[in-house]
Amino acid sequence: MKARLLFAVLAVALALSLSACGSKEQAEEKPAAPAVASAPVDPATAGTITGTVKLDGPAPKAQRIRMDAEPTCAKTHTTPVMTEDYVVGDKGGLGNVVVYVKDGLGNRTFDTPKEPVVLDQNGCIYVPHVIAVQVNQPVEIINSDPTTHNVHPVPTNNKEWNKSQPPKAENIVESFAREEIAIPVKCNVHPWMKSYIAVLKHPYFKVTGKDGAFEIKNLPPGDYTLVAWHGVLGTSAEQKVTIGPKESKAIEFTFKP
Amino acid sequence: MPEIQNDDPIVAKSYSGPLLIASLLLVLSLFWALWQEFVGLRPWRGYQREFASVYSKFLGKELTKQKAAADAIMSSAEYQKLAKAAKDAADAAAPQVKKIDEETAYVNRRIAALSPTFITARGEVTALIYQVEIAGSESSKKSRQADVDKAKKGPFNVELPTAEGKTEKKSFNYDELIAEFDSLKNHKAELTLKRADVRKAADEAAKAQAAYIQEKLDGLSVEQVQSLQTAVRQMSVALRQINVDKAGLVDRCQSCHVGMDPKLVPPTLQLTKASLGLEKSKDAPFTSHPQPELLKLHDPEKFGCSPCHGGNGRATNSVVKGHGRHEFWLWPLYYKENTEAGCQTCHAADMFTYHAPVLNKGRELFRQKGCIGCHRYEGFDNEGEQLLSARQKVRQLEQQKKDAELEIPRLNKAGDQAPDNKAAQDYYAKADNLRVETSVMDAQIEQLMVRARSLLREEKKVGPSLKETRMKLRKEWIYYWLENTHTFRPDTKMPQFRFKPREPRAISAFIWQMAVPGPALPKQAPGNSAKGKELFESRGCLACHSIGEGNKKMGGTFAANLSRVGEKVNYDYLVRWIMNPRQRTRPYDPIARKDLGPEDYKQYGKDFVFDLDHSRSPDGKHELQVQQQTVMPNLRLTIAEARDIASYLAAQKHADAVYQPAEFMDDPKLVEQGRALVKNYGCAGCHEIATLEEEGRIGTELTTEGSKPIERLDFSLLTEHAKRGVLPDGKPNVRDGEKNAEWYDHKGFFERKLTNTAIFDQGRVVTQLKMPQPNVTPEDVTALTTFLLGSVDPQVPKDYLYKPADQRRDIQEGWWLVTKYNCMGCHQIAVGQPSDLQGLPIYQGENKFKLPPPLLSEGARVDPNWLARFLENPAMSKTDVNRNGVRNYLAVRMPTFSFSDGEIRKIVKFFQAIASQAQPYLPPRLEPLTPQERTMARDLFTHPAAPCLKCHATGQPAHDANASAPNFLLAPERLQPAWTARWLTDPSRISPGTAMPSGLFKQEGGRWVFSGPLPPSLQGYSKDHADLLVRYMFQITPEEQRMLLGRTPAGGKSGAK
Repeated sequence: MKARLLFAVLAVALALSLSACGSKEQAEEKPAAPAVASAPVDPATAGTITGTVKLDGPAPKAQRIRMDAEPTCAKTHTTPVMTEDYVVGDKGGLGNVVVYVKDGLGNRTFDTPKEPVVLDQNGCIYVPHVIAVQVNQPVEIINSDPTTHNVHPVPTNNKEWNKSQPPKAENIVESFAREEIAIPVKCNVHPWMKSYIAVLKHPYFKVTGKDGAFEIKNLPPGDYTLVAWHGVLGTSAEQKVTIGPKESKAIEFTFKP
Repeated sequence: MPEIQNDDPIVAKSYSGPLLIASLLLVLSLFWALWQEFVGLRPWRGYQREFASVYSKFLGKELTKQKAAADAIMSSAEYQKLAKAAKDAADAAAPQVKKIDEETAYVNRRIAALSPTFITARGEVTALIYQVEIAGSESSKKSRQADVDKAKKGPFNVELPTAEGKTEKKSFNYDELIAEFDSLKNHKAELTLKRADVRKAADEAAKAQAAYIQEKLDGLSVEQVQSLQTAVRQMSVALRQINVDKAGLVDRCQSCHVGMDPKLVPPTLQLTKASLGLEKSKDAPFTSHPQPELLKLHDPEKFGCSPCHGGNGRATNSVVKGHGRHEFWLWPLYYKENTEAGCQTCHAADMFTYHAPVLNKGRELFRQKGCIGCHRYEGFDNEGEQLLSARQKVRQLEQQKKDAELEIPRLNKAGDQAPDNKAAQDYYAKADNLRVETSVMDAQIEQLMVRARSLLREEKKVGPSLKETRMKLRKEWIYYWLENTHTFRPDTKMPQFRFKPREPRAISAFIWQMAVPGPALPKQAPGNSAKGKELFESRGCLACHSIGEGNKKMGGTFAANLSRVGEKVNYDYLVRWIMNPRQRTRPYDPIARKDLGPEDYKQYGKDFVFDLDHSRSPDGKHELQVQQQTVMPNLRLTIAEARDIASYLAAQKHADAVYQPAEFMDDPKLVEQGRALVKNYGCAGCHEIATLEEEGRIGTELTTEGSKPIERLDFSLLTEHAKRGVLPDGKPNVRDGEKNAEWYDHKGFFERKLTNTAIFDQGRVVTQLKMPQPNVTPEDVTALTTFLLGSVDPQVPKDYLYKPADQRRDIQEGWWLVTKYNCMGCHQIAVGQPSDLQGLPIYQGENKFKLPPPLLSEGARVDPNWLARFLENPAMSKTDVNRNGVRNYLAVRMPTFSFSDGEIRKIVKFFQAIASQAQPYLPPRLEPLTPQERTMARDLFTHPAAPCLKCHATGQPAHDANASAPNFLLAPERLQPAWTARWLTDPSRISPGTAMPSGLFKQEGGRWVFSGPLPPSLQGYSKDHADLLVRYMFQITPEEQRMLLGRTPAGGKSGAK
């Protein structure tokens, strides 16, 4: 009996994962798996939220990072290395912001993506500065530097860990079990290194680029609350959006520096 | 007249006769019963009456004596002077006192006159105020207040006496009345203070007068004796008892032993049979306790009598019953020679009990004679049992750690799946805490492993290792020794076994063939025997070993007598042994249970090197026993010195000694038979023997042997002898002057058995006792018997047992080690305990300065961290080792004991504890020297009247040839400043007979001042001179010392200044 239930759950999970990462056509060909926790997203009715995040005003000047303590890293940079707290585009778009659905998905559960999100340590800088993953989604951490780093996430709600990663060492693959926006990541050897990992229970999030643009796709029709989070400026005001079937809506977040 | 019938029983037979007899009997038995009731069953009544009479007589004599003594003192000129001074002072103060007294009387009269009115008025007003307080409405409050005001107005009319003796009439209102009363009271208080002030000189003089008598009068004062006389007169004849409820103790001993009552006989008064005039009486239990200091430590109101002395404290109807000396009382009164057995009841965990020399000797013998080799005794196998328990604890902790490591991922997973963040944080925190706990466990495990390693080093055997036999001994000698143990060496600690014929052949063959075969010893060149003798006598060998036979014997008793060692020993081995007695031929692997040879090391590509720094097995997995399990230390001799001593010892032999060849010792057929015999006789209890390293003890455990039921002590065919008080040889047993005293008790059993261990086999066809005959004197038997009698299952409450957790425990643990390594062979450690070396002829007279230092105040003298380093390496150098680190000028050598860390800690704590030092030691901050002070200190240091550097070593060979005290450069890290100051000012108080002179400083105005002529720079210096020198010494440097040496006349150079 138990085994059969387990099998059913596995089957659903497999189906969901295929639908989430597969193309529309593929998903359409597959018959809907029986609902267990909640109904899967019907791609036929799913909508999209797009928009941009803007910085209202001039960004504080970036600080120069001095890497004198680690000449091997300093050598890899030809231009001065600046802090990445404010990445602002031409039209005032703000990068490194996590835009995500805060509310509106109810009890719906989602598959955990198997493919890892990569966090590289390159020239003693975390690349990218901000990443977002789903709960339990693997984060693959690479050391591209000829020096030893330690990777030290400092979470509030997750389990803390701190691992050393010598040059050419195997990639560290870890995951986070609980939603947390966002976990700061430090390298204690190189105190200037800093990065954030946002962990979410669902796939409806986006980290903005320099243009501040985002697109959140495949949302089932419903009422949603969205927020944006920035490493220095914190969490924005909430925005309520109602999505009808196949609807696409645009919103805008504005941060004041 | 009616006819009288002939057969009328009333007429025919008169019963008056029998009736008379019966009634007489009845009356008699009534008297007997009454007599028994009041006299026979209450022998203590007689004792108490007798005591009252003899003690009264004693006190009468005492009174006369003390009166005479007091009179003599009072007639002395000094007393008269004091008396006159007291009288003069009193007279001088008298007029003023009289005036004050008169005024006080006047004030008192006025107070008395005022008091009734004052008290009435105060009562009235207070009552009215209370009415105001409880009044309900504002208006009634007001009206009541008016009453109060009215009452306060008064007027109060008083007639007061005046100073002239008349009276005056005065009228007060309430407030004035109070003020007047208070002012009178204050005035009276002032007068009282003034009177004390005026009388001060007179009172002090009177006190001095009384104190003079008290100081000079030896014993009780006349008044005290008189009050004792009153107490004895009023003493009622009654049962006297000590009742301690929680201990279930009722001791009525004082009912007869009346002299024990401190209210009747104060501790300052010693009652002996002689002082009571009862020398000849055998029945006079009136003496006071011979060791009153013991009663101070053990309040009889808490401890009673019987827990220490034995006996039946409740029984009062006869002496025998009270003393519990019959078959049915398990705890008979200890005989005088065994009294200290009582100490052991509570002090069983002690290694050394103050005030109990016989018991201490018993314990000591139990260890030294190797009794523990066969008989377990709780607490006497510290190392072995601790090793087992350490290993067990490691296993427990490893299991706990394993459990925790399984639990951590479970908690983390629970955190991942927790319904909310708070719960998740809690789970993660728990997992983290558990992880931290595992790290704490790691620390514990690591410490236990270190401890286990230490213990492997601490475990010693009473006898030498028999694995070395082939390397060390002359073959034929072994066989001879087994049968003639006490003939060959009359004072050896090895007992004489009672072998059956041919058993020694098999045993010696087994031992010979099991011994390690090599690697062969290096050949040693012969040494200079004459030099060897000198070294043997001066390096300190005699602290443990003795040499010479009969009355030529000298030296310590801790280790073997070496008089005939030349007959048995191989010279090359002896050289190695003297160089380093801990050196083994092969290390023992306790896991593989074998002695490893070069071939085992070769397997792992390693050289055959093993010592304390290379103690891992060749596979690196575990610790080996790399040392011989002997307590003999390394004296850090040079190879030449070792050869000299070995040559001297090798010559110690009887010229006519002949040993029969013993080819049978190579007979392989005897090995198995020998092994069985060696196991049977328990040889491995004292010796390390190949294949029998892990053998257990073969004898009875003796921890509570003293309270074993008597039926379980096998008197065998001698039971009747014992009960009749006849000794095995038919002579009467005498105890405490009593002939044919029964010895069917523990004391009898232990004494007989120790005197002759085969005794209870006497008369038996099949003999079965295999306990060998220990080499003990009658005094030793008494000491061991005392120890065993006291080894009981204690009947007192648990908190009576002496198991201190404070520094007193450090002292006990320290004694274990101090006796284990025979520190007292060289050092004086306890006040009043001489070292063995002290008694040797070579250290008499002025040669006593060549003795090792007494350690009476070592804990206060040295910095404990320094002491720990010193104990580890007494040479205080890694390279320059053939010398003493501190007292290089002494020929006698502080050896290297290769103590384990644990032992060093315990010894250091022991010295700190006996000197009452706080732990851990924090060096005090010393005030830095000002430049002027530095100059002064230098001047003082090199002053001709304080030739410090004449005796103290400096490190310059020419100078140190005559040195007799340590180098000052050691002081900063070695010494404690407070002790140094005490030492400078009065060294002989710390160490009587020291070469350091006393009187270098004198007390002047509460500080120490140099007593010689002051160097000019010190004139006018107002601080403590000794303190100045201490501060200087604690910052002295080699350069500074060299500079001083240039200045001092003792420096060997001409004065630079």
